[in-house]
Amino acid sequence: MFKKTLLASAFGAAMLTAALPQAALADNTLRMAYDADPVSLDIHEQLSGGILQLSHMVFDPLVRWTKDYQFEPRLATEWEQVDDTTLRIKLREGVKFHSGNDFTAKDVAWTIERLQRSGDFKAIFETIDSVNVVDDHTVEIVTKQPDPLLLNIATYIFPMDSEFYSGETDSGKAKDEIVKNGNSYASTHVSGTGPFKVTGRQQGVKVEFERFADYWDTESPGNVDHIVLTPINENATRVSALLSGDVDFIAPVPPNDLERVEADPDAKLVTMSGTRIILLHMNQERVEAFKDARVRQAFTYAINQEGIASRLMKGFATPAAQLSPEGYAGHNPDLTPRYDLEKAKELMAEAGYEDGFSITMMAPNNRYVNDAKIAQAVAAMLAKINVRVDLKTLPKAQYWGEYDNRAADMMLIGWHADTEDSANFFQYLTECPNAETGAGQYNAGNYCNPELDKLLEQANLELDKDKRADMLQQIEQGLYDDAAFVPLHWQDLAWASANNADIEPILNVMNFPYLGDLVIEE
Amino acid sequence: MTTSTTPSSTTPSPSTPSRWERFRDSFLLYSFKRDLVAQLSLIIFILMVGAAVLAPWLAPTNPYDLASIDLLASELPPFWIEGADPLYVMGTDAQGRDLLSTILYGMRVSLVIGFGAVLLQATIGVCFGLLAGYLGGRIDAFLMRLADIQLSFSTLMVAIVVGALFKSIFGGATYSDYAMWLLVLIIGLAEWPQYARTVRASVLAERAKEYVDAARVMGLRRRRIMFRHILPNTLSPIFVISTVQVANAIISEAALSFLGLGMPETQPSLGSLIKSGFDYLQSGSWWITLIPGLVLVVLVLVINLLGDWLRDVLNPRLYKG
Amino acid sequence: MIAFLIKRLFHALLVMFVISLIAFAIQDNLGDPVQQMVGQSVPESERAALREELGLNDPFLVQYLRFAVNATQFDFGYSYVFHEPTTQVILRHLPATLELVFASTLLIILLSVPIGVYSAIKPRAWLSRFFMGVSIVGISIPVFLTAIVLIQLFAIGISWSPFPADTSWGGWLNGLISTEGGLPAYGRGNPEHVFGTWYTNFTSLKGLTYLILPAISLASIMLPLFIRLIRAEMLEVLQSEYVKFARAKGISMRRIYFVHALKNTMLPVITVGGVQIGTLVAYTILTETVFQWPGMGLMFLDAINRSDIPLIVTYLMIVGVIFVVTNTVVDLIYGLVNPTVKLTGKPA
Repeated sequence: MFKKTLLASAFGAAMLTAALPQAALADNTLRMAYDADPVSLDIHEQLSGGILQLSHMVFDPLVRWTKDYQFEPRLATEWEQVDDTTLRIKLREGVKFHSGNDFTAKDVAWTIERLQRSGDFKAIFETIDSVNVVDDHTVEIVTKQPDPLLLNIATYIFPMDSEFYSGETDSGKAKDEIVKNGNSYASTHVSGTGPFKVTGRQQGVKVEFERFADYWDTESPGNVDHIVLTPINENATRVSALLSGDVDFIAPVPPNDLERVEADPDAKLVTMSGTRIILLHMNQERVEAFKDARVRQAFTYAINQEGIASRLMKGFATPAAQLSPEGYAGHNPDLTPRYDLEKAKELMAEAGYEDGFSITMMAPNNRYVNDAKIAQAVAAMLAKINVRVDLKTLPKAQYWGEYDNRAADMMLIGWHADTEDSANFFQYLTECPNAETGAGQYNAGNYCNPELDKLLEQANLELDKDKRADMLQQIEQGLYDDAAFVPLHWQDLAWASANNADIEPILNVMNFPYLGDLVIEE
Repeated sequence: MTTSTTPSSTTPSPSTPSRWERFRDSFLLYSFKRDLVAQLSLIIFILMVGAAVLAPWLAPTNPYDLASIDLLASELPPFWIEGADPLYVMGTDAQGRDLLSTILYGMRVSLVIGFGAVLLQATIGVCFGLLAGYLGGRIDAFLMRLADIQLSFSTLMVAIVVGALFKSIFGGATYSDYAMWLLVLIIGLAEWPQYARTVRASVLAERAKEYVDAARVMGLRRRRIMFRHILPNTLSPIFVISTVQVANAIISEAALSFLGLGMPETQPSLGSLIKSGFDYLQSGSWWITLIPGLVLVVLVLVINLLGDWLRDVLNPRLYKG
Repeated sequence: MIAFLIKRLFHALLVMFVISLIAFAIQDNLGDPVQQMVGQSVPESERAALREELGLNDPFLVQYLRFAVNATQFDFGYSYVFHEPTTQVILRHLPATLELVFASTLLIILLSVPIGVYSAIKPRAWLSRFFMGVSIVGISIPVFLTAIVLIQLFAIGISWSPFPADTSWGGWLNGLISTEGGLPAYGRGNPEHVFGTWYTNFTSLKGLTYLILPAISLASIMLPLFIRLIRAEMLEVLQSEYVKFARAKGISMRRIYFVHALKNTMLPVITVGGVQIGTLVAYTILTETVFQWPGMGLMFLDAINRSDIPLIVTYLMIVGVIFVVTNTVVDLIYGLVNPTVKLTGKPA
């Protein structure tokens, strides 16, 4: 009664909405559990991990990331920079949407136009000035300024079936409208080019997928015929479901359960050093002492990143001394964590704060892995240089409001660069805050170094990869010397599966498993 | 409903012996001397309260002093298990805090909240009960209806809802600042009906008695009659429920803390200690959650046993339900 | 009678009105739901637009009236987190809670009746004393602690070896005090679909194993109460003239105990049990949190943490209705059986 039947009208054929029939047992079925199911089938409604994971199942991007940050052609087969602001893209031929429509250049143009209307995506796609359809399988993307990150952005372009989403529903609403928190046509109907079709969905209970018979990528080794995605929000339950054989693949695996999974002979665990940096901002506007670089440095010297990573995170984090993780253009290999309590005390004394001072600190308690515990440990470490910390931890729903108000002297934040590029970190976390341009939107330290900002500006227009990387690494060095913030660690990623699912090759640090290529051994 | 006053503890005998003599000869002491469980419970209770009060002097470390905490010493087991550090008798928690010290301080918080909440609910409940019982009429109907509705929701449910509301109204940050007093308020507000009902029932019984009539005829003021004449005669049932209510309040506080609506982890009560340790149960560090749990159970159990004994001795007819 | 029901209906509406008003009054403090709906890099202007669209900027009264009008048609709005009507979210979580409550009620009845009756018939037997002792310990253990201990014992398992393990008797004794573990402790596994939103754990042995620990935990808190209650009521009945008379008439003791006495015991037990429903709901919140049992209690706590205001309000209102209804039914039964109780609602 409460089950929604999807796509039935679109495909005409009667769809099976019940659980997989027994006859399908010979098929390869992957039962998987994530911490949440996608909030919507409209991939432009929200920019979140869940939606991107769905996008990679039901759609294909123009290009996608490989494990080592290279671009792999998907619906785009080749591309060339025509001039500084124009990229010409050749599209794959013979690709069909789930609805049966052919994929052409106008679908790409339509999709980018829709992305520019989406509240969550428009910031990323602001750089695009126009999209020209050259012929059925060629498009040109024109940017407002030279943009070295255009291909990074292209990983977010999952062409949608423009014909399928055009027109009006029976109730007179445009099929392509993007509605947050409500029922739109696109949020319950979907047609993409991806390896899987959605065959059934009960919000909050499960989503069922079936392999798309006409999928273009016939070379893909993937042999999964059906997928049942169940959301299990509770960490321990999710792990138990895998260990008891109720599901075959889970993500994320919480640090406290890593040992449990590893000890089980029927399950395997894959972990990777992640790209989400966890850090603390030191607010210079609220605390006079933070204006002194020596005090900020003392804070970075006082905190034992290795200890947090090995003890609290059980080795499930990579200690950080900068924002960019390894593999990012801006990653500066010379920068290492600088825990040294004696040095920290010296610096405090030099700055005239031998007796320390009191500060307030806030952290979320249900956003990042062990967030509240990390903040507590940091408070204890700062006590050793006589800094008295008044710590508050809040649920994320309340935390971000406090964060926007810069309500505490030190605030914890985690950041993942949507573009998988260092510039994104700087733009949101360390640029001089500017309410008009939106620069430094999450720079709760009010740290401001105009020279580094200038360097960032140049890097954002530099199309030469090596030169650009050099600039970004200089910025990291500058931030490190200034001790602009207290870096803690990059949160690791972990997945686990039953032994017969070969998940390792399809996983990546962006956390979009390419399930279309998953091989299940018989 | 009648209240049977205790044989000798409250009615002064004609020869007016000293307070101590009266106590020594009382039935209360007599039955206590014969009840081993009650004696043992009282001893343990006094020991625990003493340990909590003296925590700053007894505890090896001060868990509120962050500088003494070493993260690298986290999750050490208690002394009888291999890998323990003799410095930490009961082991350490996930932050590296000495568990024995946190338990002593946590017990303090739990006891303060328990007694504070009971004091508050007794004050509210006794006042409302007296008013309802003595004045009757509309006030009686209104107060008892309120008590009925609240009791039908169950005290724990009311506490959870009020706790959630308070946490929302004040915001998580302010809430944790005043968590201890807010918890006293929440549990006090949630559980007053028990007192109100008991007191009202006793008042109704007392009011019918001659001495009250006599007082009224003498022209004494209402308030004086209520507090000076009726209240003292309802004391024994109040005393009995109070013990049970302290145990209940401690459990309620623990439950709220366990749900994340109580004391923050930085100023732990027994409940929030159990909560923070629960995450580590699966990874084998059972002591972080089970040792504070055991302490909580023993504390509540001895209070309940004392309450049981008191009920048997004073034998008041309590309002059922 | 009808006046009584109308009065109760009025109470129910009043309770719901107060709950909705309070919940609405605090919603600003519960956090910003918009934060949950958008990505992190979304500019403030977008958020403001969304807030406007959701009507979060309207005056309090406008928002409340909009809610109240819809509520009269059983439309309590959309959950911010689940993107579907809150009633539907609750319907989806309801079966899990009901199954848990059902299983533990079954446990309570199956255990408390025989134990209560036994300890009333033989109040001085050592077994009776043992049961009474255990029951006071039971009352003193908070439900979440029982749950944690059960998980440690039967899901994780403990192995103790205070006895020499190399001797056969030592090994045997060690085995006796150690536990195996392995029982599922989290979630409800793969329950089978029945119809609508109802998935059940009762159709398979595996499904039942998921119920064992949560059901025992939930039952543990009520069990001592009922054992004591049944014992007390039974003792009273056994001393009544009526039983003495039956005994004098030569009716067999077994018949007296289990037919005559028990029948008279059950009435007060049922009414008290009905009133305890509220307590049981509160305890499901705790039990479900520990076992991550995907029922209404866990949903409610999650909703608080995610500031899903429509869902919180709906939950509280539905729980309020459940309370008022059960209490009314209990009062009705009590009134029907015991005509001296006036149903006009005046405090007795």
